[in-house]
Amino acid sequence: MDDSVLTRDHARAPAALDSRLEALLLHHEIESFNARYAQALDEQRLADWTEMFTDDARYVVLSRENFDRGLPVGLIYCESKRMIHDRAFALTETSMFAPRYLRHFIANLVVLGAEINGTVTSRANYIVLQVLFDRPDATLHQVGVYYDVFRREGGALKLAERRCVYDNLLVPNALCIPV
Amino acid sequence: MAWQRVASISEIDADGVLGVDVDGSPVALYRLGNEVFATAGICTHALAILSDGFVEDGKIECPLHQGQFDIRSGKALCPPVTEDLRTYAVKLDGNDVCIDMERPAANAAPGPNAGDGIRAAAQENNADGRKSTGPNVQSQEWLTQRYVWPEEGLTRIPDWVYTDHTIYEREVEKIFHGRTWNYVALECEVPKAGDFIRSNVGPTPVVVVRADDGSINVFENRCSHRAAEFCRELSGNVKEFVCPYHQWSYDLQGNLAGVPFRRGVNGKGGMPADFDSSRHGLHQLNVKSHRGVVFASYARDMESFEDYLGPEVLKEFEATFDGRKPRLLGYYRHTLPGNWKLYHENLKDPYHATLLHTFLVTFGLLVAGNRSLMLADATGRHGVMASAKSERKSVSSDAKKEMRAYREGMSLAEPRFMDFVEEFDSPWSVTMATIWPNLIIQREMNTLGMRQIVPTGPHEFIMKWTMFGFEGDDEEMTRHRLRQGNLMGPAGFLGLEDNEAIKFVQDGMQHVPGGQHLVKLDPAVAAGTSESLISEASIRAMYRHWRVEMGL
Ligand code: FES
Ligand SMILES: [Fe+2]
Repeated sequence: MDDSVLTRDHARAPAALDSRLEALLLHHEIESFNARYAQALDEQRLADWTEMFTDDARYVVLSRENFDRGLPVGLIYCESKRMIHDRAFALTETSMFAPRYLRHFIANLVVLGAEINGTVTSRANYIVLQVLFDRPDATLHQVGVYYDVFRREGGALKLAERRCVYDNLLVPNALCIPV
Repeated sequence: MAWQRVASISEIDADGVLGVDVDGSPVALYRLGNEVFATAGICTHALAILSDGFVEDGKIECPLHQGQFDIRSGKALCPPVTEDLRTYAVKLDGNDVCIDMERPAANAAPGPNAGDGIRAAAQENNADGRKSTGPNVQSQEWLTQRYVWPEEGLTRIPDWVYTDHTIYEREVEKIFHGRTWNYVALECEVPKAGDFIRSNVGPTPVVVVRADDGSINVFENRCSHRAAEFCRELSGNVKEFVCPYHQWSYDLQGNLAGVPFRRGVNGKGGMPADFDSSRHGLHQLNVKSHRGVVFASYARDMESFEDYLGPEVLKEFEATFDGRKPRLLGYYRHTLPGNWKLYHENLKDPYHATLLHTFLVTFGLLVAGNRSLMLADATGRHGVMASAKSERKSVSSDAKKEMRAYREGMSLAEPRFMDFVEEFDSPWSVTMATIWPNLIIQREMNTLGMRQIVPTGPHEFIMKWTMFGFEGDDEEMTRHRLRQGNLMGPAGFLGLEDNEAIKFVQDGMQHVPGGQHLVKLDPAVAAGTSESLISEASIRAMYRHWRVEMGL
């Protein structure tokens, strides 16, 4: 969102007010999307998480190192909702890992652009804390940035692309739940 | 009484048996830990040759009817053998094993000198002039008294191997800084003159750089002035390295090129007049590149890389690096809360693959009964776990019963990421080559990676994965490799399970004094290559080597 929209003089023509309201609503809509996204992952409802993506969605988790150097390798690399579905399926049905909570915090949302056709680009910071059931402390598992492309489907926003770029060089052991 | 030399200690495998002929009488020689024993070579029951039998827990099992004798006393232990085996006194003279045919072995273990021959065989191998920081020759005695391998031999591994700090320090000295080739980089990471990456040899940080003449140099990332880790970027391109602290500069060969205020200021201060820059370069390592893969060694007089791998493992190496030029696709890096050797063992343990990895089994990538091989080189240090993908329908109902992991009727929405595009001249669709001491070459169908082990202590190591394809891959092939990458790495369907399992093993050792692991599977192979997936023979082979290197 263009910051100047909200800081300008309040007495404006109705059209401008509309665009300010629109921006505010969009911002709020994405924030609440992100909150629901975090909640689905926190509660490990991976099937619900899958439904937050469009059919052709790309979902990639990659290191800052790879991202900055233009290297494509991702910890998780999904080129379609089908692959996101398989990821959710594998993690819930086949994977062995110690029980844990992963809590997601998403903040500093910036809406970068909104197209007429409903495509919205944005970014937000995220933090993922991990608690192993048998360990006393939460540990910082990942800190990074979401680079997002949203699209509207049936009126609702869905992710057409989410690239999760994490800044920490080392992943602590294993990433068992998506970010 | 006549002592006669009958063999060299190196001919007898640790926890193995060797048959020799002494004046027409067959004699069996055994090595248990650091001790050697001798018995008559023929079973007292039905004239079978005992050296074809199997040594376990201090017993020799006859190959014919599985009768057992105690190796130390010759005592017959179980039917069908009833008559005790004759034993002979043994003494070690340097590396020579001498026996006295007229004298039986003392039932008790031989005196403290008996093992010295073996210990001597594990030479101080820190090859360069640097002072050893670890235990010295004198403390060898203390070490071997303190760290006693279980008498059962290689079928047991004591916990201290994985948890003890003295052992870890000795591993750095004897193994990572010893006579080994350590993986440090792919050449394609430093394609041009001045390109560098940071890497490690064992825990030690190094810089890998391409010099102007095209050669690749590896030196410690440690300033020769005050030890500063001078190179701070993970990768980049430079003309020279300048230490940020006092700006000593080094050329791309690691030679000291400049010392600011070397002559002091106004005739005061500065370096002594006889300061010789040529003697204060960065600590350089021996470097060898094979098919675009770069290795480094602290040893100056290392055997060739080809000899180091041995013919069988070299063949597998060259099946993956088949002449095409590797192309860098990116990295995974993660910590692993376990001992670094557990990672080797995980990939010398094909048993786990069919049990832990539900995904693998459910989708037919690897099941008990697939064509497979667990190869160990002659020394036991390297290995290759190899398997051929089967069609899912061929999973036998027998195998399914044993594998709780098998799930009927599951399917993927996007199964093509599991496709194997044939690209290698090899009967195997998957090979995991464990190259001692710090590399695993992953060829999981079409997702390819170098996994570099960087130990940071007995309880933790860092794993750096360098994922690659080849020049000439089209866009679709590259994306196929990336999609298939979902199997591996710290978030991989298989990879994350291995990481968790290794953590569980380390957790299990934390508060149990004197614990041991059991690695008994596949007794038909004492230690070495096995065609069965249900085998731990390669793990035993690795520890046979480790014990020699460590002198333990
Ligand atoms: S520590 Fe490197 S120049 Fe002084
Ligand atoms: Fe595994």
